[in-house]
Amino acid sequence: MATGIRDKVAILGMGCTNFGERWDAGSEDLMVEAFTEALADAGIAREDIQAAWLGAALDDVNVGNSALPLAFALRLRPMPVTRVENMCATGTEALRAAVYAVAAGACDIALALGVEKLKDTGYGGLPLRTKGLANDLWMPYGSAPGSFAQLAGAYARRHGIEAGDLKRAMAHVSWKSHQNGALNPKAHLRKAVSMDTILNAPLIADPLGLFDCCGVSDGAACAIVTTPDIARGLGKRDIVTVKAIQLSASNGWESQHGTWDGSYVRNTREASRRAYAEAGINDPRVQLGLTEVHDCFSITELVTMEDLGLSDEGRAPFDILDGRFDRDGTLPCQIDGGLKCFGHPVGASGLRMAYEVYSQLLGRAGERQRATVDFGLTHNLGGAPFNSVAAVSILGRLD
Amino acid sequence: MATRSITGLGAYLPLLRLDRQTAAKALRWSGLGGPRTGRRAVAAFDEDALTLAVEAARLATAPAGAIAKAVVATTSAPFFERSQAGILIDALHLPSATRAQDVGGSRRAGVSALLDALLGGTGDVLIAAGERRPTQVGNGLQLAWGDGAAAVLVGDGEGARLLGHASLAHDLVDVYASREHPTPYQAEERFIRDTAVAAILVPTISAALDAAGLEAGDIAAAVVHEPVTGTYKAVAGALGLKVANLAEAVTEGAGDLGTAHVFFALGLALEKAVVGDRILLAGFGGGCDVLVLEVRAPVAGAGHAGAALGQGLGLADYVRFLSLTGSLDLDWGPRSELEQKTSASVLERYGRDMAGFIGGRDAAGNTQFPKTRLPVAPGVEAAPMTDVRLADETGTIVSITADRLNYCPDPPFYFGLVQFPGGARVLMEVTDIAGTPPAVGDPLAMRFRVKSADRRRGFRTYFWKAAPVARPSLEG
Repeated sequence: MATGIRDKVAILGMGCTNFGERWDAGSEDLMVEAFTEALADAGIAREDIQAAWLGAALDDVNVGNSALPLAFALRLRPMPVTRVENMCATGTEALRAAVYAVAAGACDIALALGVEKLKDTGYGGLPLRTKGLANDLWMPYGSAPGSFAQLAGAYARRHGIEAGDLKRAMAHVSWKSHQNGALNPKAHLRKAVSMDTILNAPLIADPLGLFDCCGVSDGAACAIVTTPDIARGLGKRDIVTVKAIQLSASNGWESQHGTWDGSYVRNTREASRRAYAEAGINDPRVQLGLTEVHDCFSITELVTMEDLGLSDEGRAPFDILDGRFDRDGTLPCQIDGGLKCFGHPVGASGLRMAYEVYSQLLGRAGERQRATVDFGLTHNLGGAPFNSVAAVSILGRLD
Repeated sequence: MATRSITGLGAYLPLLRLDRQTAAKALRWSGLGGPRTGRRAVAAFDEDALTLAVEAARLATAPAGAIAKAVVATTSAPFFERSQAGILIDALHLPSATRAQDVGGSRRAGVSALLDALLGGTGDVLIAAGERRPTQVGNGLQLAWGDGAAAVLVGDGEGARLLGHASLAHDLVDVYASREHPTPYQAEERFIRDTAVAAILVPTISAALDAAGLEAGDIAAAVVHEPVTGTYKAVAGALGLKVANLAEAVTEGAGDLGTAHVFFALGLALEKAVVGDRILLAGFGGGCDVLVLEVRAPVAGAGHAGAALGQGLGLADYVRFLSLTGSLDLDWGPRSELEQKTSASVLERYGRDMAGFIGGRDAAGNTQFPKTRLPVAPGVEAAPMTDVRLADETGTIVSITADRLNYCPDPPFYFGLVQFPGGARVLMEVTDIAGTPPAVGDPLAMRFRVKSADRRRGFRTYFWKAAPVARPSLEG
């Protein structure tokens, strides 16, 4: 019987670059920057690392495929190095691999590093990608905002929400992230914007306006993990451990068959249900101190609040407008600015979320620091609501 | 005389109609233009001669009807080497043993194929004509011509029967297009009219009437493809024809439809015809074919032509018209640089199911698309799936959006999840939006469209898109 990974793996150190339009830096620079911070935080030598995982989702943009970009950039000694890719869940996937390796006893110290260098495409949004030669014969080439915008209509229909109410709640999601991003020195977007600006922005994909969409960024984030015993042996006192990491992937049920009405994300519900069980979380609304969720689009964050069980069905718009998820609310979401403002270098985003939770747990979050954080949750959602990969991780202090 | 008849007819126009006044205003400064009255049917970015012909063919034939031979007639075939008729057979999900033929070379090609089918052979013959002809801005033919399609079905049943016919080969270079000059180059109009009337149409129509044993006064309706305006008036004066030329109504409401023009106008004639009426049909181009038909029984689908002319969406944006017709090559930015190369082996493996919109039915009776080795329905045993055609089903919208980010030659790009009866659910492009976009729960019909256009290699693939089931009425 599987026992899960709760408290079997400690985070020894983390690093995260400034996100943004890093015209000054290539992917190698970004990897070294994040790694240098993590290595110093961990208090170990580069040679102590025994295995590494690279998360890079869009290998054709500057990073390159295989494990080699990471091994070359960090000049890792010969060791197991692997590149993983699972769309926007890539960063968490890299972390999961490293955590599993340590939990399994395959190695003592492992590295997970996510990086993406997206701004060299020469245009906004995600790079153009084939869907595969066979799928290209029939599958629409819709954009990410186009795919996620479809949540809005289906959600409004299911719950009888007026379009104007939903639009205001979505705008509040983005307004709140801009407020938070302004306090984060590493964030891509550090400017607060008004509700009017958000509500009146040009449409990108109905009903998502410009400010309902996160951009894409350059950046890297990284974690060095080990066992709690080794962490203690290295002199660590406040030890942050991984309480749970769970994934769930679509098998076609939503998009090819089934009764799914398009108003929620099944994989987020499945992954979070398992993650809460693995972490021993019985009442997430009370036990969680903050969440970092995949706010690629404002409607995604809104729906995710219900999918994670943090709002009742059909109530997320009103909880959002009530400020429950604001920085000073009862359960802040995207206290670091989220994908919307911290930025979204795809392969790094899962690790960036973990970086914020880790910082909050250790009291290092500066102006954004919450008074009490026992558990923090991260959530990634790759693909589209109808064809998704959801990853949920929960971090906390060692029991 | 032949015993075979025209037993079915389909007519299809793209959604958009340019009001020719719109173009006339935009071109006033130049003195260029062409006809200034009526409308010009404008193909959507994802339509070509073949997709239009397929839609007309669907209307002319019953689903799963037995067809012995399928002919595609067009002078604007998207491929010089790749059988349009072969793709049409897949799109209609006809047996692969169906004989396929592509004809072209002049706008008369469809009528010539019709004459051949009426004169002999066995089994039902489908002749589907479609055009989306490139034209140059300023040339009057850009506004005189239109995009559209029509199809006829010929068989042994009752319908419109051939009483007499005559043909004439005559290389009158009234208009030509060539590989070196793909857009039309037209001779002086008065020369065309005078020569077409005196040297081609009058003698050949006379011969056909003689062959049918009829006088001009016996004709109840005329469908004469005019090379230029005024041709029929002169022909009618010379021969004593008293009836109107229904081909002119198509020119006025949609434009000259090339190979499809006569078939389309025949639909207008057949819709109003009563049993016993005689119809004069003249296909023109490189000479002419003249057919005299007698209506022995109502022809299925005759009403499609009139309906198509009366429904659509007015297009009042001249720049959009230029873009849609390929006359204005807009720079759509780096997002339009999408790699769209198609693998021939992948197309061989899946192409027929794509062209026919063929999904699978699993062991429990659930439908799905595409077919897979393991069924998507939970708990159903793996077993070879049986073919299920989704093209003729009506779907309903599960979710939809108007995407303004990704490249689309005629934004916004609508797409969403479409639910089919039987369980299949497909992520599809939604096209032909007229006014308010459809909402969750609305019904959608399937349309055969260009899926991807690889401009770098000159290749395109086809698939089905979803469209609102009804079109608005055109006023006036």
